[in-house]
Order: sequence, then structure tokens, then C-alpha cells
Amino acid sequence: MARVYQVPRHAMLWMMLAVILAGLPHVITGPAWLGGLLVGAVLWRWLIHRGRLRMPRRAVRLALLGAMVGGIFYHFGTLFGPTAGVSLLVGAFALKLLELFRLRDAYVVIVLGYFVLATTFLHQRGALAALYVLVVLAVVTAALIGINQPESGGRARDHIKLAGVMLLQSLPLTVLLFLIMPRIAPLWSMEADESRARTGMSDSMAPGEVSDLSQSDELAFRVTFEDEAPPRAQRYWRGMTYTRFDGRRWRQGGLGESWRTRDLFFPGRGSPPQWWEQWRDQRARPTYTYQVVMEPSRRRWLYALAVPFSETEDVGVARDFRLLREKEIDSTFAYRVTSYPEMPRDYRLTERQRQRNLQLPAGFNPRTRARAEQWRSDAATDQAYIQRILDWLGREQFYYTLQPPELGRNTVDEFLFDTRRGFCEHYASALTFMLRAVDIPARVVAGYHGGEANPLGDHLRVRQRDAHAWVEAWLPGQGWVRFDPTAAVAPSRIEYGLDRALEEQGSQGAGGVLDNLDQLPLILQMGYLSDYVEFAWYKWVLGYDQGARLELLTDWLGKVNPVRVGLALTAGLVIIVLPLAAWILLQRRAPGLSVWQREYWRMLDLLRGEGMRVHPGVAPRDLVERVARRNPSAAEALQTWSRDYERLVYGPHPGDRAAQQRLRRERRVVRRALRRR
Amino acid sequence: MSKALRQSLSSVAGVVLGKEEQVRLAVACLLARGHLLIEDLPGVGKTTLAQTLARVFSLQYGRVQFTSDMLPADILGVSVYDPDNREFHLKEGPIFTQLLLADEINRTTPKTQSALLEAMEERQVTLDGVTRPLPDPFFVVATQNPVTQTGTFPLPESQLDRFLMRISLGYPAPEMERELLAGGDRREAAEQLEGVLQPQDLVKLSRAVEKVHVSADLVDYVQRILEYSRACGEFVSGLSPRAGLGLLRAARAWAVLDGRDYVIPEDVQAVLGPVCEHRLQPVAGGSALGAGQQLLEAVPVVRGS
Amino acid sequence: MRARLRQWYARWLRRRIPPAQRVALDRRRIFIFPTGYGFLFLAIAAMLFIGGINYENNLIMAFSFLLTSLFVMAIFHTYRNLSGVVLRAGGQEPGFAGGRGSLEVVVDAGDRRWHRSLWLRWPGGHQRELSVGPGEEISTLLDLPLPRRGRVDPNRLRIHSRYPLGLLRAWSLVDLDHRCLAWPRPLPGGACPASGGSTDQGQRNADAGSDDFRGLRAYVRGDSLRLVDWKAYARGQGLNTKLFSDPVEGRRWLDWDQLPELAPEYRLQRLAWWVLELDRQNTAYGLLLPGVVLDPGQGPNHRRAILEALALYGLGEGD
Repeated sequence: MARVYQVPRHAMLWMMLAVILAGLPHVITGPAWLGGLLVGAVLWRWLIHRGRLRMPRRAVRLALLGAMVGGIFYHFGTLFGPTAGVSLLVGAFALKLLELFRLRDAYVVIVLGYFVLATTFLHQRGALAALYVLVVLAVVTAALIGINQPESGGRARDHIKLAGVMLLQSLPLTVLLFLIMPRIAPLWSMEADESRARTGMSDSMAPGEVSDLSQSDELAFRVTFEDEAPPRAQRYWRGMTYTRFDGRRWRQGGLGESWRTRDLFFPGRGSPPQWWEQWRDQRARPTYTYQVVMEPSRRRWLYALAVPFSETEDVGVARDFRLLREKEIDSTFAYRVTSYPEMPRDYRLTERQRQRNLQLPAGFNPRTRARAEQWRSDAATDQAYIQRILDWLGREQFYYTLQPPELGRNTVDEFLFDTRRGFCEHYASALTFMLRAVDIPARVVAGYHGGEANPLGDHLRVRQRDAHAWVEAWLPGQGWVRFDPTAAVAPSRIEYGLDRALEEQGSQGAGGVLDNLDQLPLILQMGYLSDYVEFAWYKWVLGYDQGARLELLTDWLGKVNPVRVGLALTAGLVIIVLPLAAWILLQRRAPGLSVWQREYWRMLDLLRGEGMRVHPGVAPRDLVERVARRNPSAAEALQTWSRDYERLVYGPHPGDRAAQQRLRRERRVVRRALRRR
Repeated sequence: MSKALRQSLSSVAGVVLGKEEQVRLAVACLLARGHLLIEDLPGVGKTTLAQTLARVFSLQYGRVQFTSDMLPADILGVSVYDPDNREFHLKEGPIFTQLLLADEINRTTPKTQSALLEAMEERQVTLDGVTRPLPDPFFVVATQNPVTQTGTFPLPESQLDRFLMRISLGYPAPEMERELLAGGDRREAAEQLEGVLQPQDLVKLSRAVEKVHVSADLVDYVQRILEYSRACGEFVSGLSPRAGLGLLRAARAWAVLDGRDYVIPEDVQAVLGPVCEHRLQPVAGGSALGAGQQLLEAVPVVRGS
Repeated sequence: MRARLRQWYARWLRRRIPPAQRVALDRRRIFIFPTGYGFLFLAIAAMLFIGGINYENNLIMAFSFLLTSLFVMAIFHTYRNLSGVVLRAGGQEPGFAGGRGSLEVVVDAGDRRWHRSLWLRWPGGHQRELSVGPGEEISTLLDLPLPRRGRVDPNRLRIHSRYPLGLLRAWSLVDLDHRCLAWPRPLPGGACPASGGSTDQGQRNADAGSDDFRGLRAYVRGDSLRLVDWKAYARGQGLNTKLFSDPVEGRRWLDWDQLPELAPEYRLQRLAWWVLELDRQNTAYGLLLPGVVLDPGQGPNHRRAILEALALYGLGEGD
């Protein structure tokens, strides 16, 4: 059997670290025993390296491999797909350590290391993860440098230093490629990441559900306004409308039976339907243009201010003035919207629309029905009727609370007349019921309200706790009009946000102690900062898609066509690579020399450049002698230099900057004298 | 002081003709309070050099011709029983002098050699439990025949280390030799020399030598010389730290002779051969260059990495 | 066709890197190309790029760009590692034809930088790996096959390096104008082809080697270790060499004319064998070749001189 390849001692540390660090993120996502396998293999290899153990036999290696593959299959139920595949890769990566027979095997380990490291990004996409990967990349590269230097003279810390330098040198080119290389559509469709339950709005609403959501601090989406942002009270982020009511639960209505029909949905491509063309013609100032970066929701609907127009690919618009994406949002998704809040909405309703927005289940909430009918007959107009309800809600002892009591069969009756404690969904539901009861078309709208500005990123953060529900009623001559019963009960909810509203209502906030912690300036700043980094990371790295690329390139190049992009790429390459190449190739002196030492070497270089044979051991005075034989006048100048040099470097009074400059001048005199000949 | 030094140098050079370099090294060795080993064939002026040095510095001078039947007592002295006082007293050997010329030291047995060398190192003599210090200053100028001659006991390496320098005089240049032949007996000339300096002056000068400034760059240079001698593979074993200290001491003395109060690399290079060569044994098949020259050319004066 | 091509290549190389005793590796003399591992590395980067597209994962894509950039930087670093190295022809260690000899190459860091993991070899020889530091020079003996006697042209020295990442290989083919002496391959046997003195004595005395003992002298480097008085050394008297006086009648001349039955090349080989044999017996011997006379003598230097004369005989390359 051939001699087992010995990883050079100075490379061993990096090799082991590379395996452990590259494998680590996968241990978190994959089966836990993978971590044991990694550490075990590294330990085993280390003992082999120290001569304590022999290389495992072929049978042992095969058994280990089989066990590993079996374990993966047992854990995932498959060997395919990204997650199982990556775990398999990590396992093979660890086991390969026990198979290092030749230099080639060491090379294979390193290549696997690069690959495993890259797959970290399948699960982790944060800025911190990227930083981690960069550091581990340096370690893997250090290991590669180590195994390329077999002789024993290498030093471990030289490897990591060089690896770091090379990576830093690679970064500018990486950025250029990242910005300029075209983003092609996926070549074949990949199975999406396995789904994980997400908090957020669902497509139906029952009392108590929105208040549950409001306990979560999780981010829903971020918004950047191009110009002015609308005032807080106006920031109603519409997500979906609920039209069907079964006495307890509100659901999205209608779309199910005729989804994708052009009457209800315009996907943004092809010729627009008539209703959309009408909208387009009715657009009126003011406008708000903004970008929304949405966290994965695993739903199709998007959030926007009323009435939204978007040109982002894949984004369509529904008849109820909402944006929808064609597929689920399973990773962070960004879209641009222009909204026209003052635009009239639906002067006319079709009979079908009207019916849908008046639907009520029979036999529920008799008390409310009676009250509604009575008040409608008292009121002169629909408006007066609605105003009366809102006034009543504000006047009577209604409470805005996150802990509403449970309700029985007649939810609206019990809420309005008995408990009088509720969250926005209770109020929205009640108001809609009272409107429909007297033949005013109405619907519940769910979404978010408000959003907190991050002063660092100049963007709004909208979190789950901003979830909200309100009402839209159709009034003849006005179309759909927004009414927010919550505003009547707890005006500060709309003006200042949830915390303030709850405080005023004497109810404890969602986060308790943590909530107060949030108010400390430092914590607040840190929060802003991390939010900003995350946002910037998304905007410039994760979300840098074909659209962003085109936008950027248009800014730079004026027009984007293959020729121009090619030229820009070439120019960028030249601008970035040439100086780097010059730096690497022409960097002559070893680092860590004092100015005086450098000065001496410059003089030696100068003399050598003039064709003199000078061995490195030559002392300043010898130089003079050597030059004197060839060029007396230069020797005289050199004498001055060497005398001063000697005195400054070896004398008891070290030289200062002025002395340095004098020496340099004297060297120039020598050079002139040498060249004159 | 430096004037007197110059004068003494030229006095010695006036007697030992055509050997300025060696004379300078010998004086530097004295200033550095080191012992000197002169390796050469008989009759090239070793004795004259030692004698002249003694005269110029007004040192008490003693000479021992080493032979193979010599015993340590012949050099150090013996305890003699004095019947009048009924006690032993030490009869001092020739070593109790300020400058001892130990002629042909490799002709005697290792036992005698080591007795002398130990006294040299410790600057004191212990006989029958009585320790007596040697005079101050105390120098040994030893001469040695080339090792290739028959009937010699070469000094072991550990003993060689006790000499600060080893020099060889060699035959004089033709014109100097003519002058030498015409000028009569050199030893006589030496005896006629007036003392230029007093022994106390020598002590003062050695103190001045110790104060000569050595910059960090220079220490770095010397250290790299030591390191190179160990790592280059040309020598059986490299230079010891003691050799490095000696090198610095000799270089300081050289700087004083040059009238400088700081050491420059040239000083180190000037004494490099005499200080190092007898401490370095080249490996078989090594370079033909002398060890000193080899170190000098290979080790950059200024750090390059 | 292939021969023509090879000829053309050799001519081109000669123009590009002319023979010289001292060659500094620079732009004109260095070639660089990715290694198989380098291509694998690029393939991995490409795979990651495709993966990044398919998963719409910008980070994986960025990772692949980073690997690509690393490769580009490795080009410069690999080139840099070889550039600035100065190669000089050094001494030689002759050998017998059909065996191996070695030539010394001095590797000098011409600039003050590290040049790590340089691999050197002569065609057909073993390779050696070394690193030179700033201002350092390292000399190394590299072996080569000696196919025939005379001064053997080792062809071009191969120097290459894959440092730092092993992704690229930078190399150069340098003609150092260096020759290795190949002695004739010793052909054993036969009677000692010696003249002068009596031939039979030459043979008889060969084993005895008992010339008159003349005395001792201190050992000097280069003396045969066989002549050292080891007994005295064991007694602690130091290394001394025994001296023998050469008996006048015992001087032997190895004579070309004594081997009429052999073809010229074999005569040289036979003579070479006897040189070794006589040297082993510490016998003085001289050499007579047509037009060449080398006086009798002894010792390694003498042996070398004689062998060199045999090696170069009739090749018109004397120097």
C-alpha cells in the first residue's frame, strides 16, 4: 500500500477548521448527528495525522458511507432535493477526510468545501451569514494554500494572511460581475424550499384572530416612498377584502368561482380589460410612488395603498383594487407601486357585485338587525346613518383591547350589546353587518395600518402588530368609501399606533417588559441599525434582480443593450483588474521594513539597476569603493549618502523625517551622477 | 586619548612592518579585553607583535614557551613549603603578569592547555584551595602552529571559544620584507620602544569601548549573522551567543580605533573573520571561501524581509 | 511531421529563451496555464452560477463570482511567484555513462520576495521542491540520466510552480548552458592494462598496497579515509593520515595501447574500471592515451582528472 499522504503540518489546522466551519451551518438545518459525524471525522483524521490511529480500512469506510446515506434517507425520507442533497454532500465531505491517500484527495476535500460553503446560502441569506461564509472561505483557501506548499518551511499564519489578501483582492471584481452579469430566468424549475408556517393575514377572519396577530413583532414588509410619505392616518395598506359572512367568520368572496376571469383580475400582461382602462382614465392626483419589500408570506396578495398601479412583473390587479402576485411569495419579494388615493372607485356596481356585498346569513344577530333598521329609518341619508353608528361607538363604553372576551353564536349582538370589548375585527365586522342589514353594500378590508419610520434607512417598517381591519361601504355617487370604526373608538390607534391606543385604554401592551425596553434610546438605535442593514442587504444583494440591474445599468450607460453591457464589463474589468495586477506583480519590497531599511534597498536596487554586481552583505562604505572603481563622481555623491546613512541609522541619535528626505535627495544625486556617465 | 591611541598604533606598526591590519586587530582585541590567538608558522613575527604590544601599553610582559613535557604548575606556579615560617606559600608562575605570550600553545598536552585557558577565562588562579586574582589588565596572546604540522595537540573547540580573535600574520609583502631585512632585529626595535599608554589608560579605554553605541539595526545584523551560521548548513555547528557577544565587543573596539562612538556594519565585518573563523568548523565539501567571507557575503547588512 | 514540429518548437524556444549561464525569469520566459484542478474549480464556479440562477439565489451567484475572481487573482499570484527568480548554473557531480549524474542549479530570489514551492528538474531526472526567501539563494543538485560519455547536454531545465492555489501552473524551460560530465561506463575484467614497471607486479601488488610506510601527518580534508591511522585516533591522538612513499618501480601507466583487442569505446570503459580498481587499492597510476599523458598520482582529485580525460577522449570537447 502506498504511503499515506500527509497533509503538511502547517496546513492541518486550516484543513480541520475548514471542514468544521463549512459543515456547521448545515448541522443546524440538517440532522443533528451530522455534527457528530463532522467532529468525529476531523478528530479521527487528527489522530491519524499524529500517528495514533491507522487509516480506516476500505470496508470500514464503505460501512460509514452506507450508514451516513441511510441516516440521511431516514431523516428526510429521500436522498434528493436541496436539503437532503446538501446533507448528503456534507456527510461525504466529512468522510472524505478519512480517505486522504494522495494530494489529489486533499484537493477534492477543498473543492467539496467550497461547494458545501456555497450551499449554506440555500437556507441562510442574511448579511451575517454572508460574512460568516466569507470568513470560512478564507479558511478553506488557507487550507488550499497550505497543501500547495509541501515543504516544511510554510507557516500556518502566512496561509491565512495570503488567503485574506487574495479574497480582498477578489472582492472588487466580484462586485462588478454581480452588478453587470445578466440575470437569466431559471433554466428549469426548482422545487421550492419546504414550506414553513408563517404568521400573517389569512384569507378569512374571525373575532380574536387579528388581535392574536398583533402580539407578533415580526416584520410584514418595508416601504420606501420615492417622495413624501402620506400622513400616518392615511396609511391603510390594503391586503384583501372579505365579502362572505357566515355569522362568525368573514371570507374572501367570489374570486374562487371565477378566478382569472378578466372581469375580476388583470394580470398586467396582454390587452387590459375594460374596467381597468376606465380606472386608468380616472387617475387623479395626488400620487404616491413607493417600493414595497415584502417578507415571505406564502400567500399571493400584496399590500398597497388604494388605488394601486404596478408594473412589476408577475403583479396583477384585482377588481377590488388590490394587487396580487401570480404565485405565492415564498421568498422576500419587492414590487413598485403608484397609488392614487383620491381616485373615485366604482361609480356603478354590477348587480352581482351588489348582491355579493349585501350577503348576510339568515337567523343571526337579531338585536343588531333591529337596531340597524330602526336607525336607518330615523336617518335621512346613508351617510347620516353611518355617522350615527360611529358616534354611538365613540360615545358608548366601548373598549379597544387585545384581550377581547370569547363570543357565542351571535357574535355581533353579543359584542355590541353585552361585552363591548373588542379589537379592530370586532368593530369592522359589526359595522359591516349593520350596513348590510340596511342594504348598503359593504365589506371588511384587512391589511395593515401605519408603519414605523426607520430614520436610518428612510423607510417604513410595517410589522404584524400593525395588522388592522376596517370597512368599505359603497355609496351612490361616491363609490367605495372607507370607514374605520376603530378610529371612532380609539382615535390614537390611527394617529399614533397600537401601543399608544392600548395605553390609553388602560390595557397592557403586547410585549410587556420587552416593550419598554424598546423605548431605550440605545436599544432603539440598535434596532434601527440592524433593521437598516437588513433592508440594505435585501435591497442591494438579495433583491438585486434583473429589474434592479436594468435600472442601475440604465443609470450608468443610458441605454442597455448587449454591446454596451459588454463594453461596460470590459471597461470595468480593465479598471479593476489592471491596478490589482500591478499591485500584486510590482509590489517588490517585503512588508515590515523601516524607512531606513527600505532606503538602503532602494540604493542597492539603484546600483544593481546600473549593472553593478552587489551581494546583499555589502556595507555602505564598501558600496562607495565599488562605485569608485567605475565612476568617481558618483562615488563622491555616494560617499555623502553612505556617511549620512551610517550616522543616522547606526549612530546614537536616530534620524527624523527631515533626515530621511535629505537622504532621499542625496540618493537622487547619486542616481544622476550614475546616469550621466 | 584617541591621539595617544593613534600614536600607539603607529608605534606598533613601525615595528611590525606591513601588518597594519593585524596590528589593528590585535589592539582592538586588547581594547575589547579579549585574548588573542595568533596562528602562523614560526618566524613571521608573532613574538615581536606580542612584545611590541606590551611595550606600547607599558604592560608587564611574560613569555612561556610551551613544550610537550610541560605541566600546569610550570605556568600557574607551585606551593612551596617554607621551613622558616612553617607554612606553604605560593610561588607564582609566569602567568602572573599583565601580558602573557603563550608561545606554541598547541605543542603542550591538553592538560596544561586547559589549565592556562581556565585561568584566562576566570582571570584568577586557584592552587591548593587558595585563589589568587591575576593582574588587571590581563591578556594572553597565544601562538599556535598550523594544525597540519606534526607533533601538535590541536586545541579543542570549547577552548578555542575563549580566544576573542584568531589572526594569522603571514609572510610580509616583498618590499616590506626587504625593509625588514635591512632594518635589523625587530625585537631589539621593540625593546627600544617607549610606552605610549599606561595600563590605567588601557582600562579607561576598555570602559570607553563598553559605552560605544550599538543601534537596534546593528544588533539585528549581528543576530542574523548568528542565525545564518546556524541555518546555512555550511558549518558543523553555528555560532554561539557568546560568539555574538564577542563579535559585538570586538566591533565596538574597532569603532573606537576608528574614532567613532557608534558601531557601523563595517566594524562588524572587519572583525568578523578573526572573531568567527576559529569557532566555525566547515562541513566537509563546503565552500572554499573563508567562513568570515561567506557570512559577510550571504547575510544582508540591512534586513530585507 | 512530429519531428518537424518538435524542431520548430525547439527553435522557437531557443529564440525566446536563449541559453545563458544565468537566467532571470520574466514575462518572456514564463508560461502559465490552468491545471486540471483549476478547470475543476472553474466548473464548480459555473455550476454554482447555474444553481444561483435556478434557485434565484443572488448569494450563491455572488459566491460563484467570488470564486471566479479568486481564480483571476490566482493568475497574478502564481505568475508573481515564479517571476523574479534567477537561475544560475552551478557545479556538477559527474557520473558514469548509463548511470546518473547531477548538476547544481543556484536559485536566487532576484527580488526581495518569497518564491515558494518551486519544482525543478532536468528532463529524465527527479524533481526537487524548494522555496527561496528574500535576498536568499539556494543551490540544489538535480540528477539527470547520462546516456553516453562526454559532456552531456541536460536539455532545458524544467521549473514550475503552482503556488499559491494550485489552480494554475506557471513554468519555464531554461537552457542554463550547463553540461554534465559522463565518465565511460566501467567495463570490469581483463588484465590490468598497465605499462611501466612490470605488469605482473602491478597485478600482484594491487591487493597488498603495501608501499613503504613513510610517516604520519595531520589529517587534511580530502585525504582518503582509508589512509587514516584509526588506531591512533582511537587512542585519542587525533586524525592522522598515513603517508606512503611511491615505489618508483611500482608506478603504473594505464595504457590505451595495452588493449588492442577491444574497440575504442570499450577500451575507455575498461580503462575506467581499472582506474577505479587501482584507486581502491591506493596505488599510484598514470594514463596514456594517444595524444594524452597524465602523470601518475593518487587520490580523489587525481582519479577525477583521469576519468575526465577518459570521458572526453576523442570527442573534441577538451577544455
